[in-house]
Amino acid sequence: MSTTTRTATTTIEYDDKSVRWFLIASIVWALVGLSAGVLVASQLNFFQMNFNMEWLTFGRLRPLHTNAAIFAFVGNMMFAGIYYSTQRLCRCRLGNDLLTKIHFFGWQLIIVLAAITLPLGYSRGKEYAELIWPINILVAVIWLVFAANFFWTLAKRNEKSLYVAIWFYIATIVTVTMLYVVNHLSLPTSFLHSYPIFGGVQDALVQWWYGHNAVAFFLTTPILGIMYYFVPKAAGRPVYSYRLSVIHFWSLVFIYIWAGPHHLLNTALPGWLQTLGMLFSLMLWAPSWGGMLNGLLTLRGAWDKLRTDPVIKFFAAGVTFYGMATFEGPLMSIKSVNALSHYSDWTIGHVHGGTLGWNGFMAAGMTYWLAPRLWNTKLYSQGMANLHFWLGMVGILLYVAAMWVSGITQGLMLNDTIEQGTLLKYPNFLDTLQAIRPMMLFRLIGGGLYLTGFFMLAFNIYKTVKSGSPVNGTVEVESAMQEMTGDEKKFRGYLNPPVIYSVLILGSAAMLIFGKGPVFLVGVFFTGVFTLAAISHFEFSGAKWSEWYDQLLEHGLTFTVLTIIAAAIGGAVQIIPTVTVQRASNIEGRLQIAYTPLELTGRDIYVSEGCYNCHSQMIRTMTPDILRYGDYSRLGESIYDHPFQWGSKRTGPDLAREGGDIQKGAELMRVGKRSNDWHYLHLVDPRQVSDGSNMPNYDWLQFKDAKTGTLMSKINAMRMLGVPYDIGLSEEEVMAEYNLQAQEIVDDLAASGVFVEKEKQIVAVIAYLQKLGAFEMTNEKKKQEKEEATHLPFESVATATPANN
Amino acid sequence: MSHEPPSVKQEDLPKGVVLKEHTYDGIQEYDQRLPRWWLITLYGAMLFAAAYFLVYQYYSGSQSNQERVEDQMKQINAIRLANSIDVTNNDMFWDMSKNSSFLTAGEKTYQSNCVPCHGADLKGGIGFNLVDGEWVHGAKPSDIYTTVFDGVPDKGMQAWGPVLGQKQITEVVAYVMSKNDEATLRAAGE
Repeated sequence: MSTTTRTATTTIEYDDKSVRWFLIASIVWALVGLSAGVLVASQLNFFQMNFNMEWLTFGRLRPLHTNAAIFAFVGNMMFAGIYYSTQRLCRCRLGNDLLTKIHFFGWQLIIVLAAITLPLGYSRGKEYAELIWPINILVAVIWLVFAANFFWTLAKRNEKSLYVAIWFYIATIVTVTMLYVVNHLSLPTSFLHSYPIFGGVQDALVQWWYGHNAVAFFLTTPILGIMYYFVPKAAGRPVYSYRLSVIHFWSLVFIYIWAGPHHLLNTALPGWLQTLGMLFSLMLWAPSWGGMLNGLLTLRGAWDKLRTDPVIKFFAAGVTFYGMATFEGPLMSIKSVNALSHYSDWTIGHVHGGTLGWNGFMAAGMTYWLAPRLWNTKLYSQGMANLHFWLGMVGILLYVAAMWVSGITQGLMLNDTIEQGTLLKYPNFLDTLQAIRPMMLFRLIGGGLYLTGFFMLAFNIYKTVKSGSPVNGTVEVESAMQEMTGDEKKFRGYLNPPVIYSVLILGSAAMLIFGKGPVFLVGVFFTGVFTLAAISHFEFSGAKWSEWYDQLLEHGLTFTVLTIIAAAIGGAVQIIPTVTVQRASNIEGRLQIAYTPLELTGRDIYVSEGCYNCHSQMIRTMTPDILRYGDYSRLGESIYDHPFQWGSKRTGPDLAREGGDIQKGAELMRVGKRSNDWHYLHLVDPRQVSDGSNMPNYDWLQFKDAKTGTLMSKINAMRMLGVPYDIGLSEEEVMAEYNLQAQEIVDDLAASGVFVEKEKQIVAVIAYLQKLGAFEMTNEKKKQEKEEATHLPFESVATATPANN
Repeated sequence: MSHEPPSVKQEDLPKGVVLKEHTYDGIQEYDQRLPRWWLITLYGAMLFAAAYFLVYQYYSGSQSNQERVEDQMKQINAIRLANSIDVTNNDMFWDMSKNSSFLTAGEKTYQSNCVPCHGADLKGGIGFNLVDGEWVHGAKPSDIYTTVFDGVPDKGMQAWGPVLGQKQITEVVAYVMSKNDEATLRAAGE
């Protein structure tokens, strides 16, 4: 390593001021994000908790809760941890002070903008990607500022090779960039609104590739990096195993990306993708536990501190929750388990085991460790920190256990049948909601306890900061670092056995996945051969491989490129074929009927109100789903949906087949499972027709005018995205069609004694709901289904839907 | 930063435990062998995945989700057919409407599914009044049954057949009939 023997040294002062800022920001946003969580949790039990204000409805605040918790709380915490540790691991000051400042203030600006726009109902309608496009651009820019600053720091480092924490930071930065950009590609229709360029199944796949890996690369990898720095520091123990770090890092980065489709199991998503999603989730178990093992076994020998030191307590519990959540995840990815757990509270419990347990506790541990060091003092109260730990612990356990019971109870009830499986035992969805209300109350209590803990942290840190004074760390470095790189051997970054074998194995595995006939057999053969060759080669010359890896760690750029490749493969294999595939094979014989101008307007209101947070539009290939909601959903039925609205949670019932045909005698007005006045009453006050519902009142929909000013540019954008609207359509024609359909609905409502003006939002929303699931058959499919229908004595349930022609 | 971890020295360690030479900001690293069970889990999952993918995607006997659920729905329809009730038999409905066990069951089904539109007192609301002697979609018991089973898609009444099944719908029809005056209803059905 270092050949420098000169004694000339320089003192470098770390930029710990920025670390302090990020740390304080993370505490402030934690309180906001967690409070929002407790509020929306309470709304599920007490619908009045939005105080009848549109800005506080569940549909609008739940995105605020998730965005604040993920990007504001954990985001700022992660920046504090990364900036603190990277400076020390590189023994140099952060890349550039100006960039650091832009990063800090830019990120806080984004959060403030999000906190304003989300309650106002400006949303892209994709989970964890709700922010509107101008903010998206700002996020991308600030993230690149962070990236530039980080890599600048690496470039001027006074430490030859990269510590494992840095690997995880690199993976975070490059992968989040990739995920964020692809999932936010949109076509703007106005300054505040855009349509995602992907629609239907493509959007679903891209969304969950992003959504799942936001968890992986925003909530997991950076925190693992932070664990690798702060846990050995706090415990005063060496990291358990370097080689475990190597293996679990690369397997995590490679495998995680593939697992996204497990959010779409048993849906219309093509089978091979579902299978890949499930299998890669199972394979993810061991790499995740590798991280947990390295964390917990590093603490081995420091267990005595567990009793006294709150920092160690938080870290040990946080890593344990990480292990629990990453065991639960693969379990829930098994298709048959998922048939029960999906769309239920079990998923919510799983997520919060990870976020409250892993992210929240790691953040608390890091904060309690950092604050005294950043302000050169002692923690104000160890006792209070210990109390925070126990409050948080009880809170999580209550929360997670309640959600398990709730999710499994409701899942079982929804899937329960009688009469030899021919009828649902609980045909009324609301019966299953009433059954889980006590559990939702326990969740609220658990979440409340956890929030109380964080208020104690805030107070404790406030007192600590007041008792100390800011101090910046320093380090002595040899002045002649450049010489250290002078003796470097020639480094063959890419042409090395580990890389070559990986390429060969992946290439043949790709043949195996996509190939037919001989290509497939060749793929199977060579995957086996290359795997065996790699194993035996490693057995003989493993030392050389590790030598290569040690050298790789000195080459940040090569390391980064390899990380990008490893992380990009999974997405490429899954997304590119789905996006480029022939449309005919992607619609399963059914083609969605494009929305009329009024229906499109209603859909935009549906999206902006965040209805997808509680209502799915995807009937799975499962008999209980079919018995409850109608024929299972086909890909073609949502092909024009930008964004897709398949949903991820059913707090209320699925809406995929809520709509129906055009009413006899009407020009455009459709009537589905329920009449217009039913929908009207249900939107204004759901409890009028659904006794015991927990849906908020949407009574402002009857008073507010629907915005039609940008309708023309919305239709043009839709046409550019491939939705078949007539090219020659003029604004007058569009508005004429809009008014005609609205008038029909208004007249129909008036006939039932409900009077509303046709400009109001509620008319558009009703039009949209009555359209859901409308499709036309493509020719060859029509014939086939007709033949089948003649065999059945009464109309088969599988085709008995109002939307069916 | 006073809190540097106390350094562990290689010579103090038991045989076989390797400590990496290099430290980062005072952080040392062991190079412990990987736990055997962990390796088995890792490689086992990979082997399982490869095998599962091959069998599931290429074994001719394996069904797609869609094929599987279509088969299951056919079985369900077969069971329904085998247990089907002759719902054209109007006398059966009249008998049922006088049998309290059917009426209790019918009332329960009515209360949990029909009340939002037809009212707890059957006097209507969103849907028609069921006790005013007016039967727009037919007054014969079998007509009433058909109306409930198939719904009235044009008026926003959903088809209850798939949800409630023949048995529960006949019970509901019997319950509704019992709330009407028999003579008037019979006359309306003529």
